[in-house]
Amino acid sequence: MSTLARRGSLFAEAGRDGRFPILSVKGLSAWYGELRALFDVSFTVNPGEVLAVIGANGAGKSTLLKSITGMMNRGAAAHIEGAIEFQGRRLDKLRTERIVATGVTMVPEGRHLFQRMSVEENLLVGAHISRAQPDARRKLDEMYALFPRLAERRDQPVRQMSGGEQQMVAIGRALMSSPALVLFDELSLGLAPIVVDDIYERLKEINRTGLTCVVIEQDMKKALSVADHVIVMLEGEVVLEGAPHELSEAEITDAYFGSRGSAHTP
Amino acid sequence: MTPLPFEEQVYWTVIDIANAFLTGALLGGTYAMIAYGLALSFGVMRLVNLAHGEFLIVGAYLSAVILAVVPIPPFFVLVFVVPIMFALGYGLQRLLLNRVSVQSMERRGMSANFGLMAPILVTFGLGIFISHLLLSIFASDAMSIKNNLAFSAIRLSMDLSISTLRFIFFLIAIALLIALTIFLRRTALGRAIRATSDNPTYAALMGIRTDHIFAVALGLSLAISGVAGFMIGMTRTFQPFDGPQFILTAFGVVIIGSMDSLVGCLVGGILLGIVQVLAGTYFGPSAQLVGGYMLVLFVLAFFREGLFSK
Repeated sequence: MSTLARRGSLFAEAGRDGRFPILSVKGLSAWYGELRALFDVSFTVNPGEVLAVIGANGAGKSTLLKSITGMMNRGAAAHIEGAIEFQGRRLDKLRTERIVATGVTMVPEGRHLFQRMSVEENLLVGAHISRAQPDARRKLDEMYALFPRLAERRDQPVRQMSGGEQQMVAIGRALMSSPALVLFDELSLGLAPIVVDDIYERLKEINRTGLTCVVIEQDMKKALSVADHVIVMLEGEVVLEGAPHELSEAEITDAYFGSRGSAHTP
Repeated sequence: MTPLPFEEQVYWTVIDIANAFLTGALLGGTYAMIAYGLALSFGVMRLVNLAHGEFLIVGAYLSAVILAVVPIPPFFVLVFVVPIMFALGYGLQRLLLNRVSVQSMERRGMSANFGLMAPILVTFGLGIFISHLLLSIFASDAMSIKNNLAFSAIRLSMDLSISTLRFIFFLIAIALLIALTIFLRRTALGRAIRATSDNPTYAALMGIRTDHIFAVALGLSLAISGVAGFMIGMTRTFQPFDGPQFILTAFGVVIIGSMDSLVGCLVGGILLGIVQVLAGTYFGPSAQLVGGYMLVLFVLAFFREGLFSK
């Protein structure tokens, strides 16, 4: 990680496990207008690992991912404070399209595919950034190898597809830009259990290629099964952090439900 | 006056109807050209461009001025008009309209209603500014683009002929529709435009610079309007304050077709043209516009989103 030192990074120090993180979040707070959604959140992600962010509805998980991808830099409607650094570059002042060009991408909650476009067109739009465009056709074949079902339906409009297939398109679309870090927001939400198992198998496959993943998940067991590291959020704060094998189920459940007392009520 | 023999009555009825359909359909090509730009800017960025009519007139003046200075055959003027109008549209969106777009109003936390109103008011003001600017430069004298095709006709039979210009314009409208469709479906930029039109927030998540895409969209809109303005100038006279009557035509076309479909514009234009000419043939010239707007009202009443809504 010589790039970190060269750019005089804020975080040019060894992080967790003595490794240099690919993503560092320091003192991150976020607001929707007057409403504060994140309180001084800090954590790091090491290259190649899967970080699971778990927490109940409204814990601030999606806000965290939106902050990293610049979707909270919207002026009066929503804003953030704090530092986010990816591979030695500050992201917290960049616009979404610039952040994506640095190699961070997201599979959004609810998928948000381009409804009027076909499977293949959605995937190709994923390769819009100039770095990815020359490789788009090759990446397309890779995606069809990863999700053979998409190859069969490449010309079908995405709005005619099942939830699981749409999630495959959303994942494929994110991977088309050849990112170094992929954020998955509510990966299994609204999908049939058998589809969820399949999607998680694909996630492991993707991670094995060296891609760093941050996964937001309501299904605690699923998240723990793939994660190298876990953070638990409660009411906009990180309340527990560690490797899955270091944490007991009781500890995680307590943190998840805030049984030790709510973070913001005295 | 002795009544015509029955066979002749039938003959003239058939000729009248055939003429109405032919002339009306060809007129529809020009109407589609007038409306494409409006549908494109609305389709991509939900911009109701109230200065659209003025941009058509700018295209007409620009063509006339260039032809007055550069001695080239009329149609070659488009080589200049199209890029100039594109640059004008791109710059306007980048420097002015992106600041007041529906999307930027949302970012600033403005209410949905005000967010929609802001670009409408700004383009309304822009339209007034443009027409007065044209007035101060060209005065209120009617201008036209001189050409030797204006009165030329293609004779199909003894009593049936079509205007050469309208025929050429119709072919241009179809060619442009095909070219735009291929561009939007087969190129990376085209797909980026469609993705942005679908959802600008998540288009940005694909690394698409939506400000740039919006500017390209208004650039294309004005480039097409430049061609349409040239067509207006070739077939009739125009003045600085003629914009509103053309935006009315454009709105009529997109109401019949669809606010965001280019095919809808062509079909809407053709239907409007045919109904206008039919009304004119049977109820006199003053009924032309009334007939056209009755069609618009009919579509509004029964197909509120247009015949080609997606």
